[in-house]
Amino acid sequence: MNFYQTKNTGLSHSINLFPFLAFFAILSGIGLSFGLHSLWVGHHHTFGTTREVPWGLLVTPYVFFACISTGLCIVSSIGQIFRVEVFQPIIPRTVFLAIVTMATGLMCIMLELENPWRVGLNAMFSPQFSSNIWWKTTIYSLYLIFMVFNYLALVIKKEKLARLCAIIPLITVTMGNLNMKSDMGLLGSRGFWSENYMPIYFLGLSVLTGCAVIILFSWIARKLNKVQGTDCAMEDKALTATGKIFIFALIGILYFTGIKVMGGFFPLSTTNPEAMYLLVQGGFANFFWIGESGLAVVLPLLLILIAGVKNIPMMALASASCLIGSFVLYYDLVIVGQLIPHFSHYNVVGLPQYYTYHPSLHEIMITSGSIFFFLATFIVGEMLLRRKFDTA
Amino acid sequence: MKIKQLEKLANEGVESLSSKDRRQFLKFGLSVTGVFLGGTILSLASAKKAQGALSGGKILTTPYPYTPHYTMVIRESDCIDCELCLEACRSTNHVPPEGYRTTILERSVPVTPTERERVFMPILCNQCNSPSCVRACPTTATYKDKETGIVRMDISKCIGCKTCMVACPYDARYFDEAIRAIDKCNFCYDTKLKESGGKTTACASACPAGVRVFGDLKDPESYAYKILHTPDKVFWVLRPEKNTMPNVFYVNR
Repeated sequence: MNFYQTKNTGLSHSINLFPFLAFFAILSGIGLSFGLHSLWVGHHHTFGTTREVPWGLLVTPYVFFACISTGLCIVSSIGQIFRVEVFQPIIPRTVFLAIVTMATGLMCIMLELENPWRVGLNAMFSPQFSSNIWWKTTIYSLYLIFMVFNYLALVIKKEKLARLCAIIPLITVTMGNLNMKSDMGLLGSRGFWSENYMPIYFLGLSVLTGCAVIILFSWIARKLNKVQGTDCAMEDKALTATGKIFIFALIGILYFTGIKVMGGFFPLSTTNPEAMYLLVQGGFANFFWIGESGLAVVLPLLLILIAGVKNIPMMALASASCLIGSFVLYYDLVIVGQLIPHFSHYNVVGLPQYYTYHPSLHEIMITSGSIFFFLATFIVGEMLLRRKFDTA
Repeated sequence: MKIKQLEKLANEGVESLSSKDRRQFLKFGLSVTGVFLGGTILSLASAKKAQGALSGGKILTTPYPYTPHYTMVIRESDCIDCELCLEACRSTNHVPPEGYRTTILERSVPVTPTERERVFMPILCNQCNSPSCVRACPTTATYKDKETGIVRMDISKCIGCKTCMVACPYDARYFDEAIRAIDKCNFCYDTKLKESGGKTTACASACPAGVRVFGDLKDPESYAYKILHTPDKVFWVLRPEKNTMPNVFYVNR
């Protein structure tokens, strides 16, 4: 078995990536500078969060990127750990993207904290073992370290070491992902996240978005590298195989979307009728039907079923749609549960039916900055991949 | 009733089962099939306890675990919303204008199909025996005081993740910009409680109607103890379905 069996792909014709890198890095810098400003003046002055809705937009990219990284780790493990040969051409890029997505996610959550400088020491020397947040952050940090080792082992072409380094992240990140339900579901005042299907739902979403990222960014890399025809036949097979998993995950998530619809229309079928109503029929209905259902699931499924898994450009389009929809899905997941007033059943005078939350400019800019950060690191990764793998 | 007698009774059938009973039965079935277990065992720290039972809530039946075991009894029907308690809390604990440790909610409670009654409901941290905020905090910045059971803050450990704010079912926490940490009611632990030798809090001493009764559940001479141990006295806690086992109780007169 050889993880590095990609052919010489004629990269002499490839596009100069440096302008892309500079462009994304500048945009990322602008966005993230808003984060530093928020840390300096305090989130109270720059974020749209309130006492009633303490978690805002920035939790969304954290969950979004962390789940993508989980999915990428799982996809990479098929080739690396389970030795399915057809997946092996995409391993280096998948591992690299898994690292940068997790790094991006952790960066977002650090910028969401009021005192990020207190995290390291207090998480290490004053841990709360019953806290799912502590477990998840610790697991993700360890995962990131092992994934870096995994990538370095790939770079120096130590297959056995790479495989060993891939097993630990796979186990840890799956634990972290399954933990996510309790991480959010434990939050006593917000029943929205406590549905019993959540662990499998999160895992399904992770696989879905992981597949989407590897399909989309492999296609973009192909365009950047001007690779076509027989040069990418092996990668085509890998992406086609990934596409099949993608379809499977789409069908799974479609099923869970159906459960949400049931909850929205039939209150007795859920333990969170107010939140489900708000999501499916209330103020978040557009996000749910257009974003969560249309863009994340239905449109990608239709595109792939019509065009087939061998049509890589169409799969890339489906993946882009899925990723945009999934971002909306995670936003809903973070925000909707918080909008149910604490004392909604106590006939409190003047209490709104739902709390409100609107992301501030700073939150939007930091989120945009994190996305550009991911794109910039993707370009860096392509530069590294060109040197280390493609011309091998 | 003996089993033989039970056997002679006619089968009631499932038609009379309430939807709640059906749901509970289905939940049990799901737990057996493992779908439900997927949500608990696979999680590193199960959310089940913090979530609470769907009906009712746990009640502390064992001897009170702290000495002194501080409590507050709110005599809800006597509150006139004068807000002197809020003022006292602010000035005693240096609460900034953008936050509050305690507040008073106004309720419109239906008493007959056509009539409603205005009730003022003071709320504060419930100093829960099973606090979801303490469980959620990743750095033990918020913790149960081992001696008194008061839920306190160690602001030097607070990373500002606000998970405790999301976790609290009583909206009892806020982020204090001045100290860059979460602040909450601690029964005036480091202010009025210390000054008074553990006898009262700022809000309780400021209340002209004796609505807020502070006391020790371990002390039979404490007025709060006497109220809660009066035979046939009806008292309740807020959001019992969350299973947090609060130490703040509500009574009428």
